[in-house]
Amino acid sequence: MSDKPYTFDESPEPSSSPDSISSSNMSSSSNIRSDALYGANSDRQGNADTQPQTASQGEQNNSAVNKPQYKTKVKTQTLDIAQPETKLPQQVSEDVWEVDAQKDGISLGAATLGFGVVSLIGFFVFEAYTTLAANVSEHPIGTGVLGALLVGFVSCFSFLSFKEWRGYKQVNTAMEDAGVIRGLLANRGSETSPQKIDSVLSQHGKRFSRGSYAAHCFDRYKQQLQDDMTGPERLGLYEDTVLKPVQEKAHKVLNKESVTAGSLAFISPNNLIQTFAVVWISFRTIRRMARVYGLRPSTAGNWKLLKVLAQNIAAQGVFDLATDEVANQIGGSLSAKFMENSAEAIAAGALNARLGRALIKLLK
Amino acid sequence: MQKNIATLFDKTRELASLTGDKLSSAFNKETHRFTITGLSRSGKSMLFTSLITMLKSRSEEGYACLPLLRYLPPSLVLDMHIAPIEGYKPFPHLQNIADLENGQWPKATEEAFGFKLVVRLKETASLKRHVLPHSEVVFEFIDYPGEWVTDIPMLSKTYAHWSDSAWAQLSSGPQQYFASQWKAFVNQFDFEQEPTEQRIQLLVNAYRDYLVEAKANGISLLQPGSFLLESSDFDWQAFGFTPLPSSITSDVSHPWFKIFDKHFSKFQSGWLTPLKQSIFKETDKQIILVDLFEGLNHSRQHLYQLKETLSHLADTFVYGQSTWFSRNVLKKEQIGKVAFVATKSDLVPVSQRGNLLNLLTQITEGARARFDGKPIQFEHFLVSSMQVTDEGSNEDAIRYKDTDGRYVESTFEPIPSTLKEMEEGSHFPVPDVSVPSDFKARILAGKGVDRLLQFLLGKGEQE
Repeated sequence: MSDKPYTFDESPEPSSSPDSISSSNMSSSSNIRSDALYGANSDRQGNADTQPQTASQGEQNNSAVNKPQYKTKVKTQTLDIAQPETKLPQQVSEDVWEVDAQKDGISLGAATLGFGVVSLIGFFVFEAYTTLAANVSEHPIGTGVLGALLVGFVSCFSFLSFKEWRGYKQVNTAMEDAGVIRGLLANRGSETSPQKIDSVLSQHGKRFSRGSYAAHCFDRYKQQLQDDMTGPERLGLYEDTVLKPVQEKAHKVLNKESVTAGSLAFISPNNLIQTFAVVWISFRTIRRMARVYGLRPSTAGNWKLLKVLAQNIAAQGVFDLATDEVANQIGGSLSAKFMENSAEAIAAGALNARLGRALIKLLK
Repeated sequence: MQKNIATLFDKTRELASLTGDKLSSAFNKETHRFTITGLSRSGKSMLFTSLITMLKSRSEEGYACLPLLRYLPPSLVLDMHIAPIEGYKPFPHLQNIADLENGQWPKATEEAFGFKLVVRLKETASLKRHVLPHSEVVFEFIDYPGEWVTDIPMLSKTYAHWSDSAWAQLSSGPQQYFASQWKAFVNQFDFEQEPTEQRIQLLVNAYRDYLVEAKANGISLLQPGSFLLESSDFDWQAFGFTPLPSSITSDVSHPWFKIFDKHFSKFQSGWLTPLKQSIFKETDKQIILVDLFEGLNHSRQHLYQLKETLSHLADTFVYGQSTWFSRNVLKKEQIGKVAFVATKSDLVPVSQRGNLLNLLTQITEGARARFDGKPIQFEHFLVSSMQVTDEGSNEDAIRYKDTDGRYVESTFEPIPSTLKEMEEGSHFPVPDVSVPSDFKARILAGKGVDRLLQFLLGKGEQE
């Protein structure tokens, strides 16, 4: 030590007390030392730890500070299964959905009609049969078959009526759900627990009929859902993947249907055909929009839509009369006819759009 | 004649479309420059690689990923491309993907790379879309070695100041064990001899050995970090310096002090100042990446050190809200939005991520103290650039394929939600996960990136 005027370790000399060394060093660099990572206390602790190193210096430094040893808080075990493969997410570009669903088998409506027709024919046949076999009073097989057909018809008709009633109830429940979701979206779900939001959204999604656009969007929502998403994030995702696309699709379908309604009105040769065309396209609009929203407003139950439809037909009738009168006043020229039909086409398109908007308001 | 009219019509249409595109590029362009600050091994390169892969897969292949990124709805994205930034080497995205395909993690960044992600969006406004058919959102990213960022705070210090604080630092905390050889070397070293080139190199190499060992053992605040990289433009072999005992630094006439002071000044003016001007330019958004596993993997003291390092880093940047005038006329930006991001969050079970987020919040306390009294928006995020783990048999377990190719399950004891809760002498070893063969699907399944971008790009709906 005598030939080395500088003591290079910051720790105190053995002969000095820790405090005195500390204070001598601090006199020149107390502020600097306070910049060090663990503050004054830990510094002193660090210096105290290194005291014996300075006393003996050199290699003994290594033995003075022990290598840190830690107790593990993670237990690992080998599994005898292979790692499952993660699937790539769904591609949005594959978002092909048609308003008209693929028909798979005979629908219930067709079956009812079929039973009805078969029953009717059966009665005719039976009547013919009884006429032909007037003398034979005992025909248990024929009576049985006809009776079975009649039972089938009555059963299906009853079930159809039940479905109409259930559809009406479903629309009302969906409207209530939509109200709750609108409320949650308004305050971004900040006061509601994620579980509650999840439950409301799942309930809403479950009501979408199979094969509808809304159900298709709901599937996509479920695929993108991640377990660490918060309530507001779930709501936002639902809005982006279900509510907005469904709304956009409904407007697209409505625009297309309104153009069709206008075109039909334009080419209709007389008012009767025009009225039939308007009624048909109105029902088609309701059906197609219902396919988008995944909710079928029951034909008998949803009187609101029928009311709008009736109003539309009445308005179309009045409009027909008015345009006829205007056309008569102008004269029977081709241009007058063209103008009349154009005006009726615009009216038919607008009235159909009105029906669609009422439907959107009802279902969204 | 008809042909001429058709040609004229086509040309007019082409010109109109071209003008529309140019107008769009000039007026409908939105540029976001991100400063991504992260220490070495914090996962910057992997985050960039994932981000590019996710955005490209989303816009070009239509994969439904980044569901919470509402700012860039997939239906409005026309296309996306990567462009270089002048003065920077292009980011090796394809090389990184090739590495992943070969079962290797992207190599650590040893030099600065820059790239722009240009996303073209359809204009939806009915009138505007005829004049300006699209808008552009440009993201500028710069990837740089994490070792450089720890050196930036040295700019504001004198050599004596730095040397004393560095000496104090290596004498305490978890690094004192790794510094013991270096200190022994200094004790044996004869400072009476003139500082020749050879003797300087001896000292610098011994100090660098300490830096290398400490880094390998999870020490985060190591200065100068640039000495750890062979690729740094600063010639540390010729102009190296080390911290010296205060008995030397207090004597300004000492030849060793004088030579190291000179080298330190050269380091500041020739390396750090240009580095700060070119790479750490002021921007309006900052992402601070934190690898909590570097701390959890070692000890509570490592976590405290990480907290302190982050606090020092925050000193380097200018925080505040840029106005239109300051941004466009004075060309001066301030960071107004900061995201603190804990990367590799998939390495802990879902049940423990709440604790991890709380721990991150506490680790950033010192850095956030710099925002006091300023209108800075900040948020904490857990991000996994790639979902490398699967659910375990219970809620505290995860499964993954380790580097030996075994599929294993790790069960975690509760991760501390505060520094105090971290038990002294215990640690959470970081799982040694290998690159999964289905890495693309796992990148697209990565979590938190969408939330992070939405916060930085959005107009404050999350706040």
